[in-house]
Amino acid sequence: MRTIAITGGKGGTGKSTISILLANKLRNEGKKVVLCDCDVECPNDHLLLGQKLKNPIEKVWANFPKLNKEKCTKCGLCTQKCPSNAIFQPPGDYPIFLHELCANCGLCWNLCPFGAIEVEKKVTGEIFTNNLKTQNSNVKATSQMSNLNNLYLVTGRSVGVVEETGPIVSKVRKFAENFAKEKRADYLLLDSAAGMHCSVIRALINTDLAYAVTEPTPLGAHDLKLILKLLQELKVPTKVVLNQADLGDRQPIDQIAENFGAKIEHEVPYSREIVQAYSQGNLHESKCAITKRK
Amino acid sequence: MSPRFGRCPYFLIIDTETQKVETVENEGVRAAHGAGVSAGQIIADSGCQVVITGNVGPNAFHVLNAVGIRIFVGAPGKSCEQALKDYNDGKLEEVSNSGPYGPGKGQR
Repeated sequence: MRTIAITGGKGGTGKSTISILLANKLRNEGKKVVLCDCDVECPNDHLLLGQKLKNPIEKVWANFPKLNKEKCTKCGLCTQKCPSNAIFQPPGDYPIFLHELCANCGLCWNLCPFGAIEVEKKVTGEIFTNNLKTQNSNVKATSQMSNLNNLYLVTGRSVGVVEETGPIVSKVRKFAENFAKEKRADYLLLDSAAGMHCSVIRALINTDLAYAVTEPTPLGAHDLKLILKLLQELKVPTKVVLNQADLGDRQPIDQIAENFGAKIEHEVPYSREIVQAYSQGNLHESKCAITKRK
Repeated sequence: MSPRFGRCPYFLIIDTETQKVETVENEGVRAAHGAGVSAGQIIADSGCQVVITGNVGPNAFHVLNAVGIRIFVGAPGKSCEQALKDYNDGKLEEVSNSGPYGPGKGQR
């Protein structure tokens, strides 16, 4: 099984669209695909695929600190050392744990010399699966019908206010990897969030290939450079996908891709057909698929 | 003055009785998360009773509020001297609610 990440730095360049177009291409080749939506703060692949997230198949749990006031000496060590600034200590008072900022690293409860920090488990995320075969059994049979049998969607979604979502992405990805093995999938596609932060890195690390999706705009070029640099650091083989390739100024994109030795593998022109299928939530049933650059 | 509390580069700690001024670097300025908490901790530990700033985010607001520090906004772009004068003249607005989440690191 090959694991491919779809990323791009800038938001709105079409990561999710390209993920589904790539899935279409692979399915047309007879491959079985699991698409995993790793944008846990705002997952939306299911919308593009006309799916609903019903009951979570699994919950993501994480450890959080809880104070035992009887043991705490108010020494302030946990407050000083917390790498997430998730502990606040009013002068002369007990530390307050701000769970929404906590990255569940465990430093505080391992560090406390008095054993005053206990661990409490909380749900931070939910995982959903959609089998697009059963969901689409009512779709009228087309020549592409057989291709509908080989796409699964795994969606991760954070619960409540969690600022640090990296650990959730890791757990969703682990689930998707096991799920894809169980389904004997040929490809696992990881659709990352926008940006270069921890929750993006967790989706990119140790993948077989990454597609950096960009657009021919100044911001598209700026963020392409950043994500290519990150992927270089992570030692992930990378190819570039240029979306809306026929609009704007593509020269800077060509230049950056060349500088990083990343090939522009696919170019997707602006297409009314794609936009229409996208907004109707049936991009996976459309004939739209990514094609290799000529 | 910086328009933002949590990610401003320096704090001026002013003793209004003695007029003594101390400069403190904001170590949390490059934090990935929780810059407001870290800045709030510096201010709380310094014994300040009032914060004059451009805007406070929710994290900073909650921690400053928890220790009873009053927050006045409306000072971005002004000199510190002018901001202090405006505060003394009662021209700055006191906040009882936090502003929106700031854009975070790397997006200034």
